[in-house]
Amino acid sequence: MPASLNAIDAPRNGSADWSGPGHGGRKRRFTWNRLLWALVFPQRGQRIMLTVPGTLLTLLSLGIGSAAYNSANNILFITLSLLLACLILSGVLSWLNFSKVRWRLRFTPPWRVGQAAVVAVDLDNRKRFLPTYGLWFDLAARPADLAPAKAESTFTAKGRDVRAMLAKAGQASASARLHLSSRLDPQGSAQVEWTLVPPRRGQWRIELAGVGSLFPFGFLSKSLASDAAHEVTVWPAPVEYRRHGAAGARRPSGGEQLERAGSGGDLLSLRRYANGDSHRLIHWKASARTGQLVVRQFTAESSEGYSLWLRTDAALWTRPEQFELGLSLVATLAEDLFRCGQLIRVAIDDGSPLAVRSVHDLEAFLDRLAAVPPVPEGGRVPEPGARSERGAFHAGGGNRNLMTFAPDGARGVVAYVDGTKAASA
Amino acid sequence: MAPKRPQLNSEELAQLKWLLGGLLVLLSAVTVLYMEIDAWTLTAVTAAAVALVIARPTLPARVPSWVHRLAFPAIVIFFAGDLYLTKEVLPPIVRLDILLLLYRGISYRKRRDDLQIIVLGLFLIVVAGVLTVSLAFAAQILAFTACALGFLLVITLTEVPPAGDRTMAAAVAPADGPPAWAVHAHWGRLLRRVREVLDWRVVALGSLLFMGVVAVSALLFLAIPRFQLENSLFLERFMTKKARTGFSDSIKFGDVTDIQQDNSVAVSVDVSDPTRIPAEPYWRMVVLDDYREGSFRISPALRLETFSAERSDAQLRGIARARRGESVYWTFYLEAGVSRYLPLLGTFEMLRFRERQNFRFADRLGLVALRDEPVSMTAYRVEGMTQAGVLPDPGLANRLGLAAEAGAAEMPQLRLQLTEPDRAVLARVVAEIRGGRESGADEFGVKASAWLAARHRYSLQSRVPAGAGDSLVRWLDSREPGHCELFAGALVLLAREAGYPARIVTGFKGGSWNGFSNNFTLRNSDAHAWCEVFDPATASWRRVDPTPGAVAAGAEQTGPAAGQTARVDRSWSARLDSLRVFWYRRIVNFDQRTQEETLKAVKTATQETGRRLRQALERGVARLKAWLASPWDLARAGRWLAVLAALGGVAWLGWRFRPAMWRLFHGRHARREDPVRRKAGRWLARLRGVEADPAVVADLQRLRYGAPAGWPEPAAVWRKARRAARRRANVER
Repeated sequence: MPASLNAIDAPRNGSADWSGPGHGGRKRRFTWNRLLWALVFPQRGQRIMLTVPGTLLTLLSLGIGSAAYNSANNILFITLSLLLACLILSGVLSWLNFSKVRWRLRFTPPWRVGQAAVVAVDLDNRKRFLPTYGLWFDLAARPADLAPAKAESTFTAKGRDVRAMLAKAGQASASARLHLSSRLDPQGSAQVEWTLVPPRRGQWRIELAGVGSLFPFGFLSKSLASDAAHEVTVWPAPVEYRRHGAAGARRPSGGEQLERAGSGGDLLSLRRYANGDSHRLIHWKASARTGQLVVRQFTAESSEGYSLWLRTDAALWTRPEQFELGLSLVATLAEDLFRCGQLIRVAIDDGSPLAVRSVHDLEAFLDRLAAVPPVPEGGRVPEPGARSERGAFHAGGGNRNLMTFAPDGARGVVAYVDGTKAASA
Repeated sequence: MAPKRPQLNSEELAQLKWLLGGLLVLLSAVTVLYMEIDAWTLTAVTAAAVALVIARPTLPARVPSWVHRLAFPAIVIFFAGDLYLTKEVLPPIVRLDILLLLYRGISYRKRRDDLQIIVLGLFLIVVAGVLTVSLAFAAQILAFTACALGFLLVITLTEVPPAGDRTMAAAVAPADGPPAWAVHAHWGRLLRRVREVLDWRVVALGSLLFMGVVAVSALLFLAIPRFQLENSLFLERFMTKKARTGFSDSIKFGDVTDIQQDNSVAVSVDVSDPTRIPAEPYWRMVVLDDYREGSFRISPALRLETFSAERSDAQLRGIARARRGESVYWTFYLEAGVSRYLPLLGTFEMLRFRERQNFRFADRLGLVALRDEPVSMTAYRVEGMTQAGVLPDPGLANRLGLAAEAGAAEMPQLRLQLTEPDRAVLARVVAEIRGGRESGADEFGVKASAWLAARHRYSLQSRVPAGAGDSLVRWLDSREPGHCELFAGALVLLAREAGYPARIVTGFKGGSWNGFSNNFTLRNSDAHAWCEVFDPATASWRRVDPTPGAVAAGAEQTGPAAGQTARVDRSWSARLDSLRVFWYRRIVNFDQRTQEETLKAVKTATQETGRRLRQALERGVARLKAWLASPWDLARAGRWLAVLAALGGVAWLGWRFRPAMWRLFHGRHARREDPVRRKAGRWLARLRGVEADPAVVADLQRLRYGAPAGWPEPAAVWRKARRAARRRANVER
C-alpha cells in the first residue's frame, strides 16, 4: 500500500455522529402521557420479542392464573403476582440497561475489494453508576444501489422457501451480529469490531440495523432500531501484474514543464501533512502560520510519466470479470505509478483528463474507478457519439506515454503504452 | 479517577451458574420438610448428592454415559411403579419432581436444563404452598424468586443468543472429561472474586429493586380482580392425609395427653369483640358417648341421629340466634393436621367457610365435621356463637322418659359395658359421693369432681394400677395421679352409674392472647378432655370438668375482666405466630369481599387524608389572612423585615460557606466526599470528550485533585464549566 494512502484514516462521511438512548440530541420533552403511552405501546423502532424462557414464563403465568381463578386459591394468586412482578422488573432493568448508552459507527478507509476492512462500533455508557451488559449489534453492509434483501413471496409460501429466497436476495450483502461480551462500566466506553471483506467495488452502505439485548433475565429480546448508517467507497482490488519493460516511454522534448509531484529538487507546492510523510518535509514556518502541519511537495525528478486512459467501450469488454480485472489493473498501476512519481494524468472514457498532483487526485480517480458501472453479461451497448481512441487526450491536448487497457484473451487484461504492451494481469 | 472494577470471566460465570443451580435444587427440595409427603429418603439423597457435586464439580464427569442414557427410562419406570404401588397421584408426582431435580442437579446442564430446574422447583414450591398454606411458603417463594432471578441473570450473561457467531463452550462438558470451569472451580476464590466485582451501589439498587418486586407483587395481589367461581381446591383430591392429633372419632386414654406434648399452634382465632372471650373457654370438637374396652368413640346411634347428611356448601346456618346488635364474629384458622372436627365454643347462628367444603353438621351437638382431613389451613367465620357450658337437648329428655318406661338403659349415653365387680366398685363410689342423699345432675357433677380431686392428683405421667377388670375403674378406685382423659372418663362412668347420661368431649381449653397480632391462639398443648352430663331437670347437657383446677360450668367470666385474666403472650414465639396470623388474615383469607373492603378502606383513607390536608391548608390560609389583615405599624413591619432579612442572611451564608462548613464538620481526611471535589468530578465527567477550554479543565482538575490551599474560586470555575457545557449542547443540537 502506498505510504501516502495510509494517511487516509479520517472518515469522510461524518461518522462521529452518536446515536442511541444516551445520545444527547433530539431529546423530547418529558410528559406523563408520553411515559404512560410508552409503557403500553412500544416506541418507534423498539421491538420486543418473547424468548423461550419468556414464553415459558407467560405459559406458566397463564396456567397459574387459570388455576388461581378456578380454585380461588391465594397461594396461586401470590405466585401469579410474583411472576408478573418479575416480568415488570425485567422490563425496568432492560430499560436501565439501555438507558444513556450511545453508539456510533466508525471505519477506516480505504476499502478495497478482497481486502479485510474493519467496521467498529464505539460504545459509550453515560450512566453515573450502573453498568450495561449483554448488548448485541446487528450490522449490515450492502451495495448502496441495492435495496435491502427482500423475498418475493406470497402469504402461502412455505417458511423454508421464504428463507431460501431471502438468502438468495441477501447474497450480495453481508451481515453480522456483534456481541458486547464484557461489562460496559459506568462512564466507560468500549468498542466492538466487525471485519468484513467487500466482495465487489462501488459505493457500499454500512448500517447498524439494530441494537438488542436479552438482559436481564432473558425473558424478552429487546432491540432498538438504529439509524446509524454510512456509505463507503470500495476501490477495485489490487492485482498482481507483469511488467513488460519501459516500452513506449519516451523522453520529453526540452522546455516541458514538470508540474507533478515527485522527489526532485524544485518546490512544487505545499500540502497538509499526512501520516507517513517524512518529518523532514515539514514546512515549519507555514505550519506555524496556518496552525496545522504543512509539508513541502517537490517536482518530479524526471519527466518520465504516464497518462492512464480507461475505455469502457462495449466493443472492448464483453466479459464482466475481465472488465473487473481491467479496473483492478488500472487502479493498481495508478497507485504504483503515483508512488514512483510517474503518474501524470488519468481519464475514463470521454471524461476530461485529470492531472494527478496529490493524493487527493489519486483518491478521486480511484473513487471514479469504483463507480464505473459494471459490464453486463454479453457486453454493454456502445453509447452514441463515443469518441475514438485518444479522443479524450486529444481534447485534453496531450497524449504522450498514454497507457490504455484492453482484454487479453479470455481472462487476461493488458496495458498498452502507445500501442506497445507494457503490463499484463 | 476510580480504578476499573474487575469482571468475572466466562469460567467464573459458569461456576456461579453451577452454584446457583445447585442452591435452587436444594431450596426446592426443602419443601418436603413441611409438605409431609413421604419423600424423606429421596430428599436426603438429593440434598447430599447436590451438595457433593457443588463441592466437587468434576464428579459428574465420572458418571459413565450409559447412566445418562438409562436415566430417563429409569425415572419413568420409578414413577409408574410409584403410582401403581401407592394408588395416589400427588405424592408420586412430587417424588418424580424431586427425582428430576436430583438428576438435573448432579449433571452438567445446558440452557434448557437450567430452565427445567426453575420450572421443576417452582412446581414443587407452589404445590407445597397450595397444600399447606404454610407461612414457610412465603419465605421459600421469596428466597426461590431471588435465587432464580440471579440464576437467570447469570444464564443471560453466560449464554450467547442463537444468532450469535460465538460459541459458548465453557458451560457444556466436553465428551471426554469435565469442563474447564469445573476443573478450576474453587468456591472460596469465586466468592472473593464476586465480592471484588460487586459494587455496593449496584447491590443496593438490586436489593431495592427486589423489594420493589415484592411490593409490586403485593399490589398486584391486592388489585387482581377476583371472581368467586366456587370451586374447591383441586389439588386436595389427589392427596390423602391423616390427622396428626387424636381428635378423631375415637380416643384411647393417653391420646389427648400425647397432643399436649406438642406446643405448636393448632388454631388462631380472630374475635371482633375481644371482651366477649370467656376467661376459660372450652373449644368443643368431638363428642364421644360410647365407652367400650377402655376407649371412647362416637356411637353409631349418635352419628345417625345427630349428624346431617353430607353437604357441600360454603356456609351453614346453626340453631342459635344472636340478639340484634350483639353478634360477635369469630374467625378461626385451623391448622392442617389437627382434626376434621372444627373447634367451636357452642352452637352458632351462621358459619361461613372461605371456600366450598364438604361437611356434616350436628346442630344438636354443636359440631361440624369435614368430610376429609384438611391438608391445609382451614379458615371459617362463625357468627352468633353461644359460649355457656350448657347445651339444650329436649329430644333426649323425651327419649329418656321412653327408655325408663321400657325399663332399659340401652342409650349409649347411659350404657356401661362393665363386669359385675366393676359395676360394684362404681356403685360403691357413687354411694360414697352421694352420701346417702339424692342430688341433681349439677350437684352430682360437682360432688363427683370433688371426690376425684380428693383421691387423684393431676399429672401427665399417669399410672393405671394393674389388675383385672376395666382399667378406668381400676384407676378410679386407686389413688394414682391421672390426666384429663382419666378424670373425664371416670366421671362419665360415675354419672352413668348414678343414672345421668354423660359423655366425654375433647377439644381445647383456654389458650393465650397474642399481644402482637391481637388474636387468640390455641396450641396443641391446650388440648383437653372434659364431660357433659345431662340434666333432666333443665333438659340440657351441662359441662363438668373434673380435672383439678377447672372452672365449673356457668362460672366463666367474660368482658374486660376476662381479657385481663387471659394469658397475654408476648414471647418470641408469639411474634412468629403473629406473622402466621397476618399471613392467614391478609393473604390466605383474602377474597373478593376483603378486596372490596380493602379498596373501600384505601378510598376512605385517601379521601380522609385529602380532607384533612385541605382543612389544614384552609386553616393556614385563614390564619395568614388574619395575620395580614391585622393592623400594621412601623414597628411591626420593621420587626418582620428584620426577621426576613436575618433568615435570608443565614440562608445565604449557609449556601456561600457550605463547603467550608462541610469540611469543618467532616474533618480534613474525607477528601473524596468533599462536595467541591465531587462537583468538580461531575463537571469533568460531563466535559469529557468536549473540546473545552484547557484552562477550565485545568481548574476543574485542581478542584478535584489539588490541595484546597491552591484552589481557584469554585463558583467562577462552575460558571466557566457551565458555559462550556452549553457550547457543547449547542454543537450537538
